[in-house]
Amino acid sequence: MAGPTRENGRVVGAFATSHSPGITGFPERADAARREPIERAFAEVRNRIAALEPDALVVVSVEHFTNFFLANLPAFAVCTSDSYLGPVTREMGDFLNVEQHQYPGAAGLGRHLYEFALESEFDPSLVEGGLAFDENFCVPLKHLDPDSSYPLVPVIVNGVNPPWPTARRCYNFGRMVRAAIEAQDEYQRVVVVGTGGLSHWVGMPESGTINEDFDRDFLARLEAGDADRLSAYSQAEIDLAGNGAHEIRTWLVAAGAASAPFETLAYEPVPEWLTGTAVAAARI
Amino acid sequence: MFQLQKLLWDIRKDTALAARFQQEPDAVLDGYGIEGVEREAMRALDFKTLYDRGANPYLLYFCALQIGVDRAEYYARIRGEVI
Repeated sequence: MAGPTRENGRVVGAFATSHSPGITGFPERADAARREPIERAFAEVRNRIAALEPDALVVVSVEHFTNFFLANLPAFAVCTSDSYLGPVTREMGDFLNVEQHQYPGAAGLGRHLYEFALESEFDPSLVEGGLAFDENFCVPLKHLDPDSSYPLVPVIVNGVNPPWPTARRCYNFGRMVRAAIEAQDEYQRVVVVGTGGLSHWVGMPESGTINEDFDRDFLARLEAGDADRLSAYSQAEIDLAGNGAHEIRTWLVAAGAASAPFETLAYEPVPEWLTGTAVAAARI
Repeated sequence: MFQLQKLLWDIRKDTALAARFQQEPDAVLDGYGIEGVEREAMRALDFKTLYDRGANPYLLYFCALQIGVDRAEYYARIRGEVI
């Protein structure tokens, strides 16, 4: 008789947050009435993740030309290192108010995810090492994992330069992430976090504008858990919420991985952080 | 445009190059083979013209910060409020 078999891994939680530098770098510029609900929501997610006792976090973010450039710009990338430097420079650390340090990587889960993606006919770039973090990971993780105690699998989605992967492709990539987690048993309890958006304009004349209608409609689609409506965004529709809104692709990956409706824990348009700022949790 | 964006990115990554661009922009622009409207715009810190010609606004903004243009001035320039 075979001995007891280990259960396969599960997505035990899925969350999504904004990552604008102001959240950690200059929170005080925002009115307390807008700042405090966001900070409470981050604390709520931090506590929920701790209660879930995850073996690893798959964190889906974008990359702001810190590592990648137009000479080789992945639509998706899966990172398989056992550690990541962040923030990339001490100067960025000062700007973000995050002390530069090494974040632990869940290398085994990263390698599994990369291989599973290829077998599932997704073709992400492979990043075995050398990836450094900017605000993409450092800002949310300062709130969600302040001691950097959870091993990470960073996943990058292109959100900085068109043309972009479609909304549907991002959602389906997330479903593939879920299937990958469920197809291994080394990491039993996995939390998925998407981070980016919502509406904002970076380096553009409109910077400081927030498209609250777009943001609230996006959150309504997430709350409905409606894969078709989440997958229906055209590039032009997202453009109406700024170049930074293309980062909602990270939320779409998280939504696909959750395959469940979300609750919005906080949403505040915060011009001082240049961003429609939100925190949400899947009802898993 | 690729060479221009390569310069913007390299300046973001390399503080020595950023300093050199501030001291001798023509030598740096020669090294990247940047000519014409893009060259004149880089020399004049005319980010609006570069943006209008398709340069990625993240790259423009990050480069500006590295060569001593602060955030307020950058946004004034990208809005065409500073000529």
